[in-house]
This record gives sequence, structure tokens and C-alpha cells, in this order.
Amino acid sequence: MYQKLALAIAFSPRMEALIAEARKLIQIFEGELILIHVGTKTPELETQLAEVLSRHCGDLHRIKTIWKEGKPAKTILKTCEEEGVDLLVLGALKKEGILTYYIGSVARKVIRKSKCSVLTLIEPKIETTHFSKVVINGTELEITPLVIARGLKFCQAERSSQVHILNEIKMYGFQMATAGEGTETEVANTRRKLVQDEIQYVQDILDKLDQTGLKINIKVTAGKWAVELVRYCESIEADLLIMGDEQGLTFIDRLFPHDLEGILEELPCNLLIVK
Amino acid sequence: MESLAHQDVINLLLKLATMLLLARIFAEVAQKLKQPAVVGEILAGIILGPTVLGMVGPEFFEFLFKSSPSANLALDGIVQMAVILLLFIAGLEVELHLVWSQGKSAVSISILGLVVPFIFGFLAPYYFPEFFGISEDKKLLFSLFMGTAMSITALPVVVRILMDMNLFKTKMGMVIVAGAMVNDLIGWLIFSVILSFMGKAGNFSLINTIGITLLFTVFMLTLGKGLLNKVLPWTNKKLAWPGGVLSLSMAFCFLAAAFTEWLGIHAIFGAFLFGVALGDSDHLSEKAKEIIHQFINNIFAPLFFVSIGLKINFFTNFDLGLVLVILAISFAGKIIGSGYGALRSGYSPKDALAVGFGMNARGAMEIILGLIALENGLIDEKLFVALVVMALVTSMSAAPLMKWALKKKPGEAD
Repeated sequence: MYQKLALAIAFSPRMEALIAEARKLIQIFEGELILIHVGTKTPELETQLAEVLSRHCGDLHRIKTIWKEGKPAKTILKTCEEEGVDLLVLGALKKEGILTYYIGSVARKVIRKSKCSVLTLIEPKIETTHFSKVVINGTELEITPLVIARGLKFCQAERSSQVHILNEIKMYGFQMATAGEGTETEVANTRRKLVQDEIQYVQDILDKLDQTGLKINIKVTAGKWAVELVRYCESIEADLLIMGDEQGLTFIDRLFPHDLEGILEELPCNLLIVK
Repeated sequence: MESLAHQDVINLLLKLATMLLLARIFAEVAQKLKQPAVVGEILAGIILGPTVLGMVGPEFFEFLFKSSPSANLALDGIVQMAVILLLFIAGLEVELHLVWSQGKSAVSISILGLVVPFIFGFLAPYYFPEFFGISEDKKLLFSLFMGTAMSITALPVVVRILMDMNLFKTKMGMVIVAGAMVNDLIGWLIFSVILSFMGKAGNFSLINTIGITLLFTVFMLTLGKGLLNKVLPWTNKKLAWPGGVLSLSMAFCFLAAAFTEWLGIHAIFGAFLFGVALGDSDHLSEKAKEIIHQFINNIFAPLFFVSIGLKINFFTNFDLGLVLVILAISFAGKIIGSGYGALRSGYSPKDALAVGFGMNARGAMEIILGLIALENGLIDEKLFVALVVMALVTSMSAAPLMKWALKKKPGEAD
């Protein structure tokens, strides 16, 4: 599925864990690993990296390290394009004091503008993370069929035990209030139909896909999908959230941050953005 | 505190009971005929008011609505509150995030669907003031008002139609809903400026009022919303549910309304903006929204719609020429504007026409707008009646016209 995997490294204390995680993914997808570092190449850093690599990637033949100088976000994006990377792996940042994670400004820029999929890990571990509980965004968007298809493939490769696909009823309160002009039975029917429609939307996509080995649960919520996704991930303690990307974020999106922005602000778990 | 006399209490309760009963009966009939409940409720008012009951049973009408000035005053207070609450839920319905997610086509449809009817509504009285019976000095204000009155789409009517036609979740449905939301927001902003021009009891000069209005709008949509996002999770967790969120949202709605009334731009504007801020918050659950809607839609809204018919004689103030002109302007403006917007966004001519017909539905908002203008002496009763008729006709015709536009000829491919 992902043949060329890139990891952006910054020689932070978590670099080793990130490399170990990337190594694990390479094993699953049988691909090639590219390490990207934006900054000056010094002998000390080279030695440091070589040490870590020998511990985790000693047996790996298809691996290369790219050292480049320039603006971090721009350089990472350019390198990924030049190398034809499928999946870029990043580490998230931890908020001081409290146990919440967020994506820094460089990573945010990379996520928004990247042409390839991006996996953000909130807590990379040397012993690596297993994504057993996965939540996929099934909200009706143009990209959703692709997100679900890619998400299922990822889950199959990762052998995830539970896959939850979340879809939401748009303007549920308003729709129900409008339906409130009918009789009790009509209202109950409308309520049932609203839920059924959303399940059907996901089911129609699933029917065309291979679901071997997966336990899939379709869940319907009401409200703003981004908020509901975060809440759901928190409540089931999900390991990974898979979602698509909204194209063309503009000035207005900065003025009224929504959806993706809200999730990047406060990460509930690891995040895979499918492009 | 002063209180109502024994007789006044009885009179007030009788008024409320009659209004609610008749509103319910007519709303049910309207729905059986596949028409919005609003249509029935307004008809109920016309029947209870001077137009029908005042003619058929003048003694009963006198007893019910004229015999007790104190009870009338109390009723007026309740109706005022109903209008404020109606605007509050109108604000609650505006979901900005939905608008942004619909992208350019929604913006294009709503802007054109606002600007074109506004221009039509503005130009007609500006160039033919005699026809509308307005004096030269009021011409500008009146034209601005007409422009606004032509441009606000009735969101609840539109949603109902789209749900009935199974179009709500389609791309076209969402675009129409998003377009109507933007229309609402901008339309009320323009109207608040007009209100400050009228400045009946303002505490500030004109420029100051407009400045403070804009500041208040920006505040509510940014900091106010942020504040709500901080307070709501706490209310949901620590206070009774849904009691806590219900009474607090009502309280703050009235506070915001009091503030804008004090500014001199009418209470409804504050309620509307507070509704927008609250509705856009991540933490107001859909269940709470449903409850708020239900109790306002079914108790306060009917009282307001019935009260319109009580105030005015629709028969003596019916001016066919005026009604036809208003209808022509309103149909032409909305259908051309929104339809062209949809066409530009890549819809087929038929679908674009359907979008235009959908956006053409007006309802409560035009009536509230008209009522305020009437109370402020900007328009006369004849024009108000024409506006109410326009709201009724556009609401009633939207669904059949959309169905007609979307009907495929036999043999036509999907």
C-alpha cells in the first residue's frame, strides 16, 4: 500500500522512537524508508543518527537519509515530491504540563499542503505502537469513499482488531424540529430514517470493498463531525484516527477555524490523513 | 409589582387559549395540504382579527381583544418575547461551518440571491415613490427596507420542503440551505443598520450606533463564541440537563436583546446574533437544539403569527396592484439572482431554476421585518399586508415550483 515512506527527523529526544515506528511500518508495507532532516549536516549528528539506525534498521537495505537546508515545511514538502513519497510520518508535540498533544505550525503547514498521506504519531514508542482500535471518518464528503477504502487497507495490513466508521446526521436538531410538525409516528419514522440514511451511506461504500479480517462498526452521531470524531476517539480510547483532507483552506478557514483545524489543535490520538 | 385584575387575567387567558387553539387547527389543516404550518397560523390570525371575526361577530371580537387594555398590554409583552425568541432560533439555525464546507457555489448563490433581489427591491420604490405612497424624504430608507425585505429567504420553510422532497442531503439541498443561512445573516445586518437610521430611541448618534452594531456583531461571532465554548462544557457537566443550558441560553438571549434595544437597533438583533454564536458552538448538543426549537416553534411562534392578523384588517388594507407588484419583484429578484448564481456554479438550467424557486420561499422573517417597519412608521398597513401576502405566496409556491422544475420529461435520462 505505501511503498515509499518518509520520516521527518529533528534530533529530538523522541527521534529514536519515531525511527522505530517507521521501521515497523516499513516491515508491514515492505517499502523503502527515507529520512529527511532539514538543517546543517554535522559529523556529530551523523554519528548520532548512525547509532540509532544501527539499532533499529540494521537489516534494512532500502533506506536513505536526505540532509537539506532551508525552510522546514517547504523543504520537507519539496523532498517528498521529488522522491515520490507515499506516506510521510511526523511526531506531534505535547502541550507543556498537561497531557494533550497538538500539531506544531511547521507540521500543520506540511499536513495542509502535502500531496501524499501524512501519519502523525502522538506518542511514538521504541517498542512501537499497534493500532488496534481505529476510527475512520465516514462523514459525507467527496473524499470519504477513498478514505474508507485506504483506511480499511491500512487496518488489514496493521491487523487492527476493531474498526469504527463514524458518520453524522447534518443539522439533526433542526431537521427533527422541522419534522416535529408531523404526528408522533411520523416523527419517529423521520428519526429512524435519518439514522438509517447515514448507515446506508457508509454501508454502500463498504459493500464495494474487501473487509476480510476486519470487525467493522458503523456509528452515527449528530452535531459537528470534527467535534464528534474527537469525542468518540477519546471515549473508546482509539489508537488511530483516519480521515481525509479538506482541500483549499483559505483565509476564511483561519478566521473561522473548523473541522480539520479543530482536530489538529487538540489531537485525540494518532492521526492518519489520507490524500 | 403591579398585577392584573381578576377580569384581566381571565381575558388574557382566554386570548391565549383562543389563539393557540385556532393556530393549531389551521396549522394541522395547512400540513394536510402540504403547506408550512406558518401559513395556517397566519390565516388563523386573520380569521380571529378584525378581518373576519371583527366583521362576523363584532361583539365577541370586542370582548376578546378590545375590552381589557391591561390584558392587551400583557399580550403585547408575550408577543414581543415571542418575536425575540423566533429570532433567537433563526440565529441558532445558522451553522457557519456548514456554509464554509459548501464552498464557493453556496457563497455565489447566496450573494447573488441577496444582491439581485435587494437591487430589484431597492430600485422599484426609489424610482416610483408615488406608487408606493412614500414621501421624498423617506425614499432612501424605504428603498433600503424594501431591498432587505426582498432578500431574506425563510430557512425553516426551505428545510421542510427539502426534507419532504428528499433533497436535504443532496449537494443541491445543502447549497440551498447554506445559501439561505448566509442570506439571513447579511440580511439582518443590513436591517439593523436601517433600524439605526430610523433611530427611534437610541442613546447614541447614528455613526456611533452603526459602529457599535458592527463591533457587537464581530464580538459575538469571535470572542462571544469563544466564551460560549468555554462556558458550555461547564454548564453541561455541572448543571441540570437540559434545564441548565435552556434557562441560561434564554437568559443570555434576553440580555443580548436588551443590549441591542438599548443601542437603539431593536432587541431582535441581539437575540439573533446570540443565536448564531450559540448555534455555532461545538458544545450545544443537537438534542438541546431540538428542545429549544420545539418549545419556541409550538408555543411562541403561533402566538406571534396569530397576533399579526389581530393587528390589521387584511381586507380593507388589501391593495391588489401593490400585492401584484411586490410579488413580481420578489419572484423575479430571487429566482433570477439565486438561479443565476447556481447556473454560474455549474448547475444545469433546470436545477438552477429549482435552486431559485427553493430560495424564493419567504416567511416569518419578512413578516417580522415588515412589522418593525410598520411600528416605526416606515411603511403603511397596505404595504405590510402586501408583504405578508408575498411571504405566504412564496412559501406556498416554493415546493410545487421546485417539483415542477425538477420533473423529468418522459424518456429523459437521469
